[in-house]
Parts: sequence; structure tokens; C-alpha cells
Amino acid sequence: MISLASYLIISIILFVIGLMVMIARKNIVAILLGIELILNAAALNFVAYSKFVTNNLDGHIFALFIIVVAAAEAAVGLAIVIRFFQLKETIHIDEATQLRN
Amino acid sequence: MFLNLLFIASAILTILGAVLVLTTKNIMHSCVFLLTSLIGIAGLYATLGADFVAVTQVMVYVGGVVILMLFAVMLTGGKDFVSKAQNLLGLAPTMGNAFTYVMASFVGVVFILTNIQLIKRLGEFSKLKNNGSFVSTVNELGMLLVKDHILAFEISSVLLLGALVGAAIIARPRKQ
Repeated sequence: MISLASYLIISIILFVIGLMVMIARKNIVAILLGIELILNAAALNFVAYSKFVTNNLDGHIFALFIIVVAAAEAAVGLAIVIRFFQLKETIHIDEATQLRN
Repeated sequence: MFLNLLFIASAILTILGAVLVLTTKNIMHSCVFLLTSLIGIAGLYATLGADFVAVTQVMVYVGGVVILMLFAVMLTGGKDFVSKAQNLLGLAPTMGNAFTYVMASFVGVVFILTNIQLIKRLGEFSKLKNNGSFVSTVNELGMLLVKDHILAFEISSVLLLGALVGAAIIARPRKQ
């Protein structure tokens, strides 16, 4: 039962749900939650392949760097969200039109 | 046996948490369900024998990122929103224009084609079994990080410093 296929299926379900969160939710913080789900799906794929196919630890290293980059991305993204809230008094994604055209 | 039980519990926790992140209206509850999903992913890492990655996942995500998200929700009101754009008839909320839909259908076609390739090879993938030998990876990971991957390690430290300084500069209160 625990095979590479089951991990790949879990990973693709997570990826699709993250994509749907990013598309469907209109709160900027919710969109950041979707990005976290997608990054986790990618990291799970790396670790699963490194266990079942390559049998070395390079996938673990990749997963660790994905976690580091996700933490940095969350810090900067939430700083941008808070600054946006100071300027516009809302965090609706449709209000973010200053860079349009 | 224990491995199968842990795998099933982690998989259910992961998928259920992710679905609830998508469907819950309250953004605060969404953050808490993201937390359960991330704990489930840590359990999946444990079933793969990746002990250090599992512990790092719990410490960084559950202890750091989700708390940061909760603080951002509390600082910005925590409302959930509906789309403001209306479609041509003005009946239902919509998003994007014709170009967006063309691009989205293109991406959908590519996505379905790649997944057909994946499903074709699924039987082959399910032959690859877990060999069940679990050894601690911490020692070897540490040696790899300071030997083979030292450049990426140093670059990630510079990235974290830049992210910290950038976040502090972006979010600081400004006087008009």
C-alpha cells in the first residue's frame, strides 16, 4: 500500500487544492495559504522520489531548502499584505490595481 | 502495521485539512486547518524515513509560518471576501477576461496531458515498495549540507537575511 504512487496521488491532490485556493479565495492571506500548500506538495514529491527511486538524500536537501524559501516568502508576503492594508484599509485582491496597465 | 496506520492517518489529515482550507469561510479557521494539513505532511515525511525533514517541517511551519499567518489575519481584520467583478450579464461574480480564460484552458490541457502520462505509469510506480529500513538521516544530512551543498546553504542564509530586512522595511509604519 505504501508505494510511490500513493505519495504522488496525495501530492497531486494537495497541488490541485492549493491551486483552487489561490484562484477562488479573494483574501490575500488565503492566497498565501494556497502557496504554502503548493510548496508542500512539491517538497513531498522530492522526498518520496528520494526514498523510492534514487535512494540518496538529495531530495531531503531539496525539501529543506523549499521549507527555508517558503518561510522567507511568507515573511515578505505578509509584510506586503500588512503594508497594503495600511494603504488601502482592505486586503481584497481586486483592490490591488495600482500596477495595472 | 504501525507504518500503514501512520500513513493512513497522515494522508487523511493532509487531504482533509487541505479541503477544509479551501471550503471554510472563516479565514482564521482556514489557518488552523492549514496547520493540521502541515502536521499530516510531517507524518508522511516520517513514513518515508525522513526524520530530520519531518521535525523541521513541524518546527518551521507549525511553529513559525502558521503563527505568522495568524498574526497577519489578526492585524488585517480577518474578513473573507467575494469577487467584486461581474460577468457580462451581471448575474454572478466572475474573474478575469477572455484572455484569462484562454490561458486557463491552455494550462488545463497541459495539466491533463501530464497527468495522463503519470496515470499510465502508475502501475509501474506502485511496484516500488518501501524497503522498510529506517536509519537516522541527521548525520548524513549534516555532512551533505556542509560538504556538497555548502554554496546553497550560504546562499539561503543570505536569502533569509534579505527577507528579514526586506520585511522589516516594507512593513514599517510611515509618517506622512
